[in-house]
Amino acid sequence: MDINTTNAKDNLAVNIYSENPAAVSKKKSPSRIKGSTGERIFDILNVSFMIILSFITIYPFWYVLVVSLSNGNDLANGPVWFWPRNFTLNNYIYVLQYKLLRSAFVVTIARCLAGPVISVGVCMLAAYPLSKRWLPKRKWFLFFYMLPMFIGGTVISNYVVMAKLKLLNNFLVYIIPGAFGFFNMVIMRTFIEQIPIELEESAMLDGANYWVIFTKIILPQSKPIMAAFAFFSVVHNWLDFTTTLLYVTKQSLYTLQYVLYLVVNASQASNMIDITNIGESMRRLKENQRAALPTPEVVKMTVMVVVTFPLLFVYPFFQKYFVVGMNLGAIKG
Amino acid sequence: MGSNEITRKDIRMRSCWILYVFLIPATILTFIFSYIPMFTNIMAFQDYHINNGWLGLGSKFVGFRNFYFLKERWFWELAGRTVFYSFTILVTSFPLPLILALLLNELKNQTFKKFVQTVSYIPRFVSWVTVAGMFYIFLSVDPSGVVNNIKQAVFGGERISYMQHEIYFLPILVISNIWKELGWGTIIYLAAITNISPELYEAAQVDGANRWHRAIYITLPGLIPTFCILLIFSLGGLVNTNFDQVFNLQNQVIRESTDTINIWVFYKGIRAQLFGLSSAVALFNGLVTFVLVMTGNYITKKLNNTAII
Repeated sequence: MDINTTNAKDNLAVNIYSENPAAVSKKKSPSRIKGSTGERIFDILNVSFMIILSFITIYPFWYVLVVSLSNGNDLANGPVWFWPRNFTLNNYIYVLQYKLLRSAFVVTIARCLAGPVISVGVCMLAAYPLSKRWLPKRKWFLFFYMLPMFIGGTVISNYVVMAKLKLLNNFLVYIIPGAFGFFNMVIMRTFIEQIPIELEESAMLDGANYWVIFTKIILPQSKPIMAAFAFFSVVHNWLDFTTTLLYVTKQSLYTLQYVLYLVVNASQASNMIDITNIGESMRRLKENQRAALPTPEVVKMTVMVVVTFPLLFVYPFFQKYFVVGMNLGAIKG
Repeated sequence: MGSNEITRKDIRMRSCWILYVFLIPATILTFIFSYIPMFTNIMAFQDYHINNGWLGLGSKFVGFRNFYFLKERWFWELAGRTVFYSFTILVTSFPLPLILALLLNELKNQTFKKFVQTVSYIPRFVSWVTVAGMFYIFLSVDPSGVVNNIKQAVFGGERISYMQHEIYFLPILVISNIWKELGWGTIIYLAAITNISPELYEAAQVDGANRWHRAIYITLPGLIPTFCILLIFSLGGLVNTNFDQVFNLQNQVIRESTDTINIWVFYKGIRAQLFGLSSAVALFNGLVTFVLVMTGNYITKKLNNTAII
């Protein structure tokens, strides 16, 4: 029942249940005991429900991990549930030989680095002038940026434009077209508006121009919001699958999600990974252990782990930012 | 005072041209990647060939000839299926984050609440490709198919290849959508809960309201505006299924009978390069979406004076 206060610093809402001693003492008063049996049953059911929910969320990941650590041929002998019956790391050694996966890693990491920088930069640059309510023609610009939210191109006209701009099979297609987002800009603008105007004014009196103010005052003050959007940009760039599907046919520009898509949808192992091309370590592995090649199913799950898990270890560290954006968005409305 | 105001204004206008320079990148990007494709939509009224003049827009105008699909049976089947799928997904999964947020709000142990929240956000950081891969392995007929293993242990009988039968496709869409979006959807409601005035709870407590009353009469009504705005946002989605979701959960066996409009547009437009027809279908779809969004916006304006625009 307690309200989460970690992100409520700027909100008027304060946690009344834990901070207010009167509320606490009220709980212990006799009038409250009446409903307590029902409440206790509810609490137990609620907690059980949450445990089941957490299990349903986590188990698929765990199971995929278990399969990826299993011997593929052994899997055919019967179901595994929580632990690999025949533990092996061979699947990983095998999968990491996959050249397309390696190049996809490079491409994906490159876009996860360049994407956030460009995107946050463009949005911040636009957000700062638009936070100045006195700026002549400000409304015109806002309308210009907002209109495409409601009417825009179709998939087909977008494709044609990309083709004509020579962005098909071009790394820039991952970074440039989505760099400016209207909603992101509006949330950044709301954040900038909260920076005390006195900071800017005193700098102006000292003769600073807007470029100096932007780089020396606005950007350092906006670190939290920039971190939040940079993080979401990384997430977007890591998970994006459609851009490659639509605009890229060149193998060297495939992203991780697209390679995973190819692997998951390949019906035979030979379609997935070119076995004639396997590297030295795999050949040695095969000789040493007389192991058969991993089955398609196991390979699919191993690639899935390699593609999916890196992001899952990063995201809890950014959790505090999730609500920041949401609250600012709400203030705007 | 007056002169002070003037100097202030003078100072802030001194380098204000720089502010317009700041707007250049966003303006150029918006123009190129939003306005030009918007303009290129006129290809739907042309016998379009990509190499005819600038952007191929030198092609011959043919009026509404590309819109002949409006009289075809296959299109209405496609549109009907799209609306059926997206409506079912909306109805089944839309209220759930609100309910989960209310339940999370009732958890007493903050560490446990934090844990459940962290876990429930995980599926947001996974692509639909991965979700499809999970469904592939869980619904597999092989011994690694968890669902079939459970089914056989409990009910016995044949193992079913769920992904190969179109009747299971909509349930798969619904379940995968709930699994992926439920936790993330609660964030906005939990944020809205922190914005509810604490005085309301205090007053209610003084009046002897118990937890149940507080949840139903204070927290829930406090979330209704957010709920309505989100609902209106998703109204436009009624004629659009999630491309990534449907595309990845499909397979060649069931594709023809489970296509939705945007999947169809992708295969006909980008893969088969039937630009005229597919852009006409996409444009029609976009128009319907626009009308739905505007209608929703109008309704909210009437209801609680809070519009999106």
